[in-house]
Amino acid sequence: MSKIQVLVANHPRLMRELVLATIFDQPDIEVMGEIKDDSEITRVVAESEPDFLIIALDQAERRPGICDELLVHYPHMKILALAPERNSSVFFWAVVDIRSKHVESSEEGILNALRGREQVVEQ
Amino acid sequence: MSDQRDRVAVFLLAENRLLREALVRIFNKKNDIEMVGASGFTPLAVEEIAAASPDVLLMDSFTVELSHLEFIREVQRAVPGLKVVMIGMESEEQTFLQAVRAGAVGYVLKDASAQEVVTGVRAAANGEAVCPPQLCLSLLRYVARQWNQVPSFQVKASLGLTNREQQLVLLIGRGLTNKEIAMQLNLSEQTVRNHVHHMLRKVGASDRLQVVELCRIQGLAV
Repeated sequence: MSKIQVLVANHPRLMRELVLATIFDQPDIEVMGEIKDDSEITRVVAESEPDFLIIALDQAERRPGICDELLVHYPHMKILALAPERNSSVFFWAVVDIRSKHVESSEEGILNALRGREQVVEQ
Repeated sequence: MSDQRDRVAVFLLAENRLLREALVRIFNKKNDIEMVGASGFTPLAVEEIAAASPDVLLMDSFTVELSHLEFIREVQRAVPGLKVVMIGMESEEQTFLQAVRAGAVGYVLKDASAQEVVTGVRAAANGEAVCPPQLCLSLLRYVARQWNQVPSFQVKASLGLTNREQQLVLLIGRGLTNKEIAMQLNLSEQTVRNHVHHMLRKVGASDRLQVVELCRIQGLAV
């Protein structure tokens, strides 16, 4: 079975490292790379075409602009946006339009989301 | 580090569950650190922390809002000797200074690595302060501002000089004459002369420059 390929691009650094620490030793997940500079995201996604991209949610309730840009070109990819100050993350994916749901910002919540078993949390 | 323990006892107070869980996992891998508790903020947080009796409280700046930094003082009263290390989720100078004023001995920025957080906790437990280089300057400026502030309570307490007299000392220290001081403070020259005379008597100085020197010794930035 192929591994779930994840690109980790959220910030701040501490949260990114904690996400990496959470998913790094999961046998069914492969970390394809870590992006420290947001301006690199588009290029690295184009090169690696991951199943998942993890980014930061800078403004609550507002879909990061990069989601629209990327999901048009990579509709198979899903994006998980993490807000360091909140206990829920937003999960974006493309069907016909871009849809989203809130999942829990916990180790289990993130791993479940990556494995397609996300549990939606109420806002 | 407490005498009874050979490991640093750490309590983690963080609102974000991912931050909490992942940090606990990282700390649990360290042989010299013992996690004695981890939770989000609740009204019973002080009691929970006191019951766990940690050496270090590691908390994020989102957990306790700025207006509630009294929490740090409260928890330090409940756990004497507790060292507080804050993870600054905002890199604003104000948040950092408020944390320091409230009693935090360590501050780690959100852009720190997980390893730097661990190092910060160890350093705080060893009695060291932890301050990111980019915020050290803010701290030094803050101290300088406080130092320069007139009135100085130290000068008032030890030399008995009033606020107005301390203002005069600063101006004398800059080399101004009585006439120039009078113009600057909107006083008559005679009033300034009287103030200077009173100051000399109060502090037992033989001349005005000696008053300046005495105030400098007491910490007034003249």
